[in-house]
Amino acid sequence: MSNDEPDPLRARLEAYVGKPLGSSEPALAPDEVNVPMIRHWVDALADRNPVYLDEEFAAETRFGHIVAPPAMLQTWTMPRPKIEGIAERGGAPDDITFDNPITTLDAAGYIGTLATNSELEFMRYLKPGDRLRSVVVVESISDRKKTSLGLGYFVTWITTYSDQDSEIVGRQLFRIFKFDPATIGALS
Amino acid sequence: MTRSKRPSEIAVGDDLPQYDLPMTATVIVSGAIASRDFMPAHHDKDFATGQGAPDIFMNILTTNGYVSRFVTDWAGPEAMLRSISIRLGAPAVPGEPLQFTGKVAKTTEQGDQWLIEVAVRAANSLGDHATGTVVLTLPAD
Repeated sequence: MSNDEPDPLRARLEAYVGKPLGSSEPALAPDEVNVPMIRHWVDALADRNPVYLDEEFAAETRFGHIVAPPAMLQTWTMPRPKIEGIAERGGAPDDITFDNPITTLDAAGYIGTLATNSELEFMRYLKPGDRLRSVVVVESISDRKKTSLGLGYFVTWITTYSDQDSEIVGRQLFRIFKFDPATIGALS
Repeated sequence: MTRSKRPSEIAVGDDLPQYDLPMTATVIVSGAIASRDFMPAHHDKDFATGQGAPDIFMNILTTNGYVSRFVTDWAGPEAMLRSISIRLGAPAVPGEPLQFTGKVAKTTEQGDQWLIEVAVRAANSLGDHATGTVVLTLPAD
């Protein structure tokens, strides 16, 4: 199997680029940005930055009020998980029925997944009461690459987060490598 | 940490104080659940090893959280993060302390605030877990 051979998957993968990854409907956060979840996070990570919980302190800063830790951005719109059967679904929070490049690559034997890049961008800090929506769009799918893990594709998607006023508050670029572990050492 | 750095106290090449995170299963599971990531690879060792991982491993949301904390512990509560861009490598697993190091890469005055770019690295004995750049702003002196 050489990387230079025509790739039968290419046309199918190309059709996903620029399209939503998953549902075309934005995901609405189950809850508003809220203090209990912030407290849970700062305790879990032992983050003692007072702007996250100390209202008096935060009022004297340039924020003017408490703010959510910026790295929690993705947390607010995480889907509610169906715990039963989550291992059998490979960790997917719920049954995935929609057509997407990940399931297509899985079905073609590229079952390995390695996260390679995360790029978070914050337009503003979030405060309790904000209610987020997120939309995920496939940004690119690389040509088939030969790597030390085997043959595979870099799949990149961008999640855009907006608030209750439809203002964009943040973005995340995420890239994974989907590979076929059976092709390790398959250098032509 | 209640005092924030002044931009005049920051110079390109400054090292951030190193931080060593003791890595336990509890650290990994606490971060995963606080970030609402119920993927079994972050709490179920049998699942993780079945997927070829050496053990349960830290989820990316938590890695971003620790990178953010590492930088704001240094810069102070007035710091406002603009971006966290990381390349992911070796997994962060129990028993492998994660060492956070950072260096100021660039400072730029921008109106009434300064843009500070920090190169960060979180590494363990397996290699680099995360390397990248955090951009933050601080109010001008």
